[in-house]
Amino acid sequence: MKPAKFDYERATDVAHAIGLLKGSGGFTKILAGGQSLGPMMNLRLAQPDLLVDIGRIEALKRIEKTHDSLFIGALVRHAMIEDGKAPDTTRGYLRSIAGNIAYRAVRNRGTVGGSVVHADPSGDWPTAMLAAGASARITSANGARSVGLDAFFTGAYSTVVGEDEVLEGLSVPAFSDHARWGYYKICRKPGEFADSIGAVVIDPARSYARVVLGATDGAPILLPALASRVAAGQAVSIADAGAAIDAVHSGFDPFDRQIHATALSRAITKALAA
Amino acid sequence: MKQVTMTVNGRSVTQLVEPRTSLADFVREQLRFTGTHLGCEHGVCGACTVLIDGEPQRSCITYAVSCDSAQVTTIEGFDDDALMADMRTAFHENHALQCGYCTPGMLVTARDIVRRLPDADEKRVRLELSGNLCRCTGYVGIVRAILSVLAKRKAA
Amino acid sequence: MSDKGIGARILRKEDHRHLHGRANFTADIAMPNMLNLAFVRSGIAHGRLVRVTKPADAADRVFAFDDLVGVKTLRAVSKLPTYKLADYPCLATGKVKFVGEPIAACLADSRAEAEDLAARVAVEIDPLPPVMDMVASRAPGTAIVHEDWSDNIALTIQIPSDIDEVVRTAPVKVSGEYKMSRHAMVPMEGRAVLAYWDDRQDQLVVYSATQVPHLNRAGISDILDIEQRQVRVIAPDVGGGFGLKALVFPEEIVACWLALRTRRPVRWIEDRVEHLIADANCREHHYRISAYADRTGKILALEGEVTVDAGAYSVYPFTNGLEAAMAIGNLPGPYHVPAYRGKAYTVTTNKPPLAPYRGVARPGVAFAIEQTIDAIARAVGRDPFDVRLENLVPAAAMPYTSVAKKTFDSGDYPEALRRVARMLDLPGLRERQKRREPDGRLIGVGFGCYTEQTAHGTSVFASWGIQLVPGFEQATVRLTPDGGLEVRVGVQSHGQGMETTIAQVASTTLGIDPARVNVVHGDTGLTPFSTGTYASRSIVMAGGATSRACKVLATRLVRIGAHLMQCEAKDVQVKDGKVVGPRASVEFSEIGRVWYMRPDELPPDVDMGGLECTVGYRPDPDYGTFAYASHGAVVAVDPDTGVVEVLDYVICEDCGTMVNPMVVEGQAFGGAVQGIGTALYEESPYDDQGQPLHSTFADYTLPGATEAPMIRIDHMISPSPHTEYGIKGTGEGGNIPTSGLLANAVNDALRSLGAEVHETPITPRRVLEAIARARKAAA
Repeated sequence: MKPAKFDYERATDVAHAIGLLKGSGGFTKILAGGQSLGPMMNLRLAQPDLLVDIGRIEALKRIEKTHDSLFIGALVRHAMIEDGKAPDTTRGYLRSIAGNIAYRAVRNRGTVGGSVVHADPSGDWPTAMLAAGASARITSANGARSVGLDAFFTGAYSTVVGEDEVLEGLSVPAFSDHARWGYYKICRKPGEFADSIGAVVIDPARSYARVVLGATDGAPILLPALASRVAAGQAVSIADAGAAIDAVHSGFDPFDRQIHATALSRAITKALAA
Repeated sequence: MKQVTMTVNGRSVTQLVEPRTSLADFVREQLRFTGTHLGCEHGVCGACTVLIDGEPQRSCITYAVSCDSAQVTTIEGFDDDALMADMRTAFHENHALQCGYCTPGMLVTARDIVRRLPDADEKRVRLELSGNLCRCTGYVGIVRAILSVLAKRKAA
Repeated sequence: MSDKGIGARILRKEDHRHLHGRANFTADIAMPNMLNLAFVRSGIAHGRLVRVTKPADAADRVFAFDDLVGVKTLRAVSKLPTYKLADYPCLATGKVKFVGEPIAACLADSRAEAEDLAARVAVEIDPLPPVMDMVASRAPGTAIVHEDWSDNIALTIQIPSDIDEVVRTAPVKVSGEYKMSRHAMVPMEGRAVLAYWDDRQDQLVVYSATQVPHLNRAGISDILDIEQRQVRVIAPDVGGGFGLKALVFPEEIVACWLALRTRRPVRWIEDRVEHLIADANCREHHYRISAYADRTGKILALEGEVTVDAGAYSVYPFTNGLEAAMAIGNLPGPYHVPAYRGKAYTVTTNKPPLAPYRGVARPGVAFAIEQTIDAIARAVGRDPFDVRLENLVPAAAMPYTSVAKKTFDSGDYPEALRRVARMLDLPGLRERQKRREPDGRLIGVGFGCYTEQTAHGTSVFASWGIQLVPGFEQATVRLTPDGGLEVRVGVQSHGQGMETTIAQVASTTLGIDPARVNVVHGDTGLTPFSTGTYASRSIVMAGGATSRACKVLATRLVRIGAHLMQCEAKDVQVKDGKVVGPRASVEFSEIGRVWYMRPDELPPDVDMGGLECTVGYRPDPDYGTFAYASHGAVVAVDPDTGVVEVLDYVICEDCGTMVNPMVVEGQAFGGAVQGIGTALYEESPYDDQGQPLHSTFADYTLPGATEAPMIRIDHMISPSPHTEYGIKGTGEGGNIPTSGLLANAVNDALRSLGAEVHETPITPRRVLEAIARARKAAA
């Protein structure tokens, strides 16, 4: 169980990385923390010709607080957020999520940007960041662009980031002092891939409410109808959540529908009780 | 082949590696530090856990070439570490190992739990151990060993 | 030194090397000029192998079936009537019979390069309909796995008995269908082999992650047709076995053959994907049980049909029939069953071979029978604890010969159950169940009891008629010139702590400190023959042999010691590592010095065998000594997610005289958590085309520290009347009752919903589906 052969280049800065991506003839992958790519390559499910290691690009490791947001560089590791090394602008939301991703040894190397751009449906950050209203900063040879996460994921393992683009980081709006959130993950055991994730952020001061269902068969799903109910302070039973799921996705089998509905209902209950 | 220089167990090493060589295979096959074990090679079982720049990480899904200039500590590199000495004693006294295959990775994680979470209770210890699989002990001795080191440090 | 001998909770001698990363597993061994091996494996479950095309530039490093000149197939024989041979070719020929079956072997300097080469080998297979369902494929007209067979049934065993009268008249009848799913054994170290030819010794030296080095040697010699003197098998540190490593597999044979052919060291290290999809699996049993009882729940008769999905081939040497034979022979369990009728089928399918895993068949048996006991209790409206207690064989009945002709030697089975119920506070739990849990979860209690035949010997294995029947076990003991002791045993310790416990046996017999005892094991070149470590036999057999050998050595020490003290041998004894006379004592080191360095000081009639002897042992009778236990657990079931959490787990066990209670507890804890794996998490499922759906730890779930409760344990000690020091085996028992009692606990929790689950693993999906079925039935 060893990877197929590949070439390896270490990028010194973002421009260099983009140059390497553009210049390669074959299949190229960016290596950030490698905690998802590594297993896929060991299993030879991914066989890139070239790995562009962006792990030493200091600019991608920055954490920056502005008056209304927090910028998290793509290379910020989960453990840094777990350990409170980023300012808490989300009333503990990001920190709580970071601390329950996979295992500590994975969190010590895996990156926020890598997780979001990998877009594994069962990953935490795609769902959690979408619920928080984050936007992605993507850089290419033509400059940088910002994309809200509601327009970022195009399916399972699929995003709008182009082959010669680099995700620089995520901008997460600051939660107000009255913001409330709930996050409920169902998995066979801690650290495993999630079977369902419900994520809820309510921030009346910003007239903001989002309810997201993750760990489905595709991109995380926004549930605006539930968000309106939650914004109005209404509880959502499992049956209610199931009905809301039916309105946006008809393909779940009864088991998946049940656990998705439960994850959503429990996340909402947590948010309302917060 | 790429040249890589890193510090392993306190000594600087410079070697040529294939980019696809994992850090685990590098320390095992090229440096002959075979205490780091491979149990799944996809980042789940934890047998290959080593310290990279002081933090526990999976050496099976980390390429040696990407560890250039890093400080790597394998199970063979803790001889002067008082906390690891305590942990080894506690593992011995609590029958926290049987076949011993998971033990090196388990010890690296266990030491990190005590270092990072001095107030951890049994539930937290178990949660923190979720990334290290043991097939022999039922985790009873392992959890007891870690709790005993935590208690000892608190009392000191 | 008796405080360190049998019964002492001393710490393990083997820990230090593991704690410091200085153990020596097979994969840790490197040799100059070594080649690494990777296999091309079938991606098709059932099909005709049309062509294997080697890369033109590397044809001399790729080997297919036709290249294996002189290599026999692995043939596991059995004398049981109806048994059909299902030979396992070392590389596929004719047809491929499961996904993962090795087709070609590829050699390269590194494993990565060997895998590169394997990826370039083209394999053409014409697919055939796969045989995937063991119950359905018993019927005529289905596709056939082995072309020369008329059906897919490898073995049929019947235990006939006339129970018709009870069937007709019993006031209570319960029937159930129980399924234990196939899973993998998953020792943390996979299988591993490194073979090279040693010209000086004229030997093929094989480092192997095996539990059974002598048996491996016999297998390698047989299949490669070379003399046994030319094969030495060394098991270095072995990272768990659980039965998997008690067999001989094609990959090992191919590695040995390639070492002979290339005259270079050849290494194959199984990776986790190979283990999960291509290695032997375990457990897949299906039961149909009917029990007949009186109105109090007392069993009057039992009727069972067992079907075992044995996969494509019969494993060497234990065969594919052992599971079903053990299942049908153990179905009545520790209960007094007056009448019993059973039938067992072993069915061949297009899956990897099934092999005995810790507990061998009995976890499946307990899964079926423990749920049957609870079903009887529900039928008669009593607590399952009471019904179980009244059906257990009572202490006064010991020794007790069961309806299945097994003789339980000693113990108080009901007392173990009573203690477990006390540890759990059963009345408190029943009260708690009447109140609702604040978090909405449902609480359930389950019990499981078993008796485990351990160290069954010649008579039992001979009745199955398999290749290798265990007989007398020998140990060699040798006093070193400085008064230390070497003990050489043919079994293999891979987590059981026998480097410590065998030393404890020697300590009790000779009074020597275990720290001064080296236990040498796992090497055919250094140890007496043994069939190896399996069947919870090693401490009984090798421990017994060690004791007997030490006793013979003691007589020789006494003779020399008495001479040195100038007194009569009858007046001296061995004590505390010395020979003690009426007025003086002599240290072992002094006796060692005299024997080895100063023979001029020896008595004239000294035994010329000196301070080394090999002595054999077999319990009498040798049909096995029965360890037993009761386990109990409390679970919480979340009716909205189907998630089951084990809140509490207790054990009361009795393995006779305990050599080291710490080690006994470790075996029980580890076994129980493996049982939690079988019960709640582990499964190797296939789609209808025979494709495995479980190739990594992402889709194969093992219990971790968060899934394991802090198990509590109590001991009873009923020494066996048949074994040295009254020791019984204890390696496997821990996981026998777990699935059954956890199913009982889950079904107890679900009782208010009318839902029941009778299939492992009890996943959230199966729980929610059971609840949905119950709701539908109620509606």
